[in-house]
Amino acid sequence: MDDVERKVIDLIAEVLVDVNKENIQLDSKIVEDLGAESLDIYDMIALLEDEFGLEINDEEVEKIQTVKDVASFIKASGRA
Amino acid sequence: MVTGLGAGVQANWTAITSGRSGIGPITRFDASKHRTRIAGEVRGDFDPAGYIHNKEARRMDRYQHLAMVAAYEAMNDAGLPYPPSEPYRCGAVVGSGMGGLASIEDGFRSVDQKGPKGAHPMVIPMSVINLAPGMMSIRFGFKGPNFGVVNACTSGTSAIGEAHRIIREGRCDVMLTGGAEAVITTLSIAAFNALRALSVRNDEPEKASRPFDRDRDGFVIGEGAGILVLESEDHARARGATIHGEIVGYGATDDAFHVVMPASDGEGAYYSMKFALEDAGVDPSEIGYINAHGTSTDLNDKMETIAIRRLFGHSAEKVSISSTKSMTGHLIGAAGAVEAIFSLMALKEGVVPPTINLENPDPECDLDYTPNKAVSREMAYALSNSFAFGGQNASLVFKRV
Repeated sequence: MDDVERKVIDLIAEVLVDVNKENIQLDSKIVEDLGAESLDIYDMIALLEDEFGLEINDEEVEKIQTVKDVASFIKASGRA
Repeated sequence: MVTGLGAGVQANWTAITSGRSGIGPITRFDASKHRTRIAGEVRGDFDPAGYIHNKEARRMDRYQHLAMVAAYEAMNDAGLPYPPSEPYRCGAVVGSGMGGLASIEDGFRSVDQKGPKGAHPMVIPMSVINLAPGMMSIRFGFKGPNFGVVNACTSGTSAIGEAHRIIREGRCDVMLTGGAEAVITTLSIAAFNALRALSVRNDEPEKASRPFDRDRDGFVIGEGAGILVLESEDHARARGATIHGEIVGYGATDDAFHVVMPASDGEGAYYSMKFALEDAGVDPSEIGYINAHGTSTDLNDKMETIAIRRLFGHSAEKVSISSTKSMTGHLIGAAGAVEAIFSLMALKEGVVPPTINLENPDPECDLDYTPNKAVSREMAYALSNSFAFGGQNASLVFKRV
């Protein structure tokens, strides 16, 4: 696991009240496996944008399913 | 309840009956450039973590933390199981003057620096006042009437009065009610200073809130929350609940006079108290204790004295009065709620809490304000007043059970 992936897991764990960090894997699906609802997603986007200094628009969000997808998006955006 | 004096009814009651001040230097933000640098802050012994998951706490404003911690204390004390078996018979009405002002300030700062993307999605739910009772409904499964009351410094008393009416009308059996406030913020202190409303006795924080004293120079802002469980008598008796007291009267008026000044003849306050007593069917001579609004401002304390004199006549000399704001500071929308609890405790314990810092009484404030030391007194009824910017006045009458 690289630094971006670790940071993404930290941020997701910060948002999801009922999920322990140990249970968040790279292939965990954010909605189906971790139970995130819409407000959680908006909260995560705000934190990720702040942390990595990037912008995630709503169409891009729809393509993201797993924790690894989030980290890949951030790395692809070249800011990490 | 939570105030600058501590968390929990017992801690607060011990503090106010021993005449302790909860006022100190402001630490919640850098107040070094503000004219007022003192307040009644809720300090280290308040920790929402026991009640609110730290991840969830992140998404709540401080006024909501205070409200929820007070609500848990009230629910635990009442011993009410939740979710209730008849959820539509249980509601919540909670007051706040300015709700999540701190979250609004933080949100604005972030948008100002980063542009519109700087707005966090929780700014709205953390700011609005109806989310305090809304969160209680989620936590306790109360599905009946639920709303916030916004009435500045009268919010807490108005909320309790309205919740009491809902029960009296038979619409609900149980209501969570009270008030919460956490506006020791840079904007709030600056703006109250611009109105010249706050004490600037920065060198002597514990002496700054001095209702009815000649040398008072304004109110001292405080933060906190008071939440009560109101129940219909039938419902409480049927489940064998411990009953701390009864709300028997509620009066509400407005001065129809000025945006921030009370009418100096005290007419609105007079009618508020009069209607509350009539609602209760209680004669002024039967009131043992008045928990005064007593803000420590020049205008309020004189006006309230005139109103009490007018309504109580000869018995004005006999009633014990005090302003617990001398110790807690002025909790704005939570003031009436914590003062309702103090009034109920006074009846239950037979003790009148003092008005501290009453060293040189204002000659125009010439009633028994219970100076500096608590007094033992058996009492059947107590009255609690709240008056607001906007001219709103509300009074509650409590009966010992």
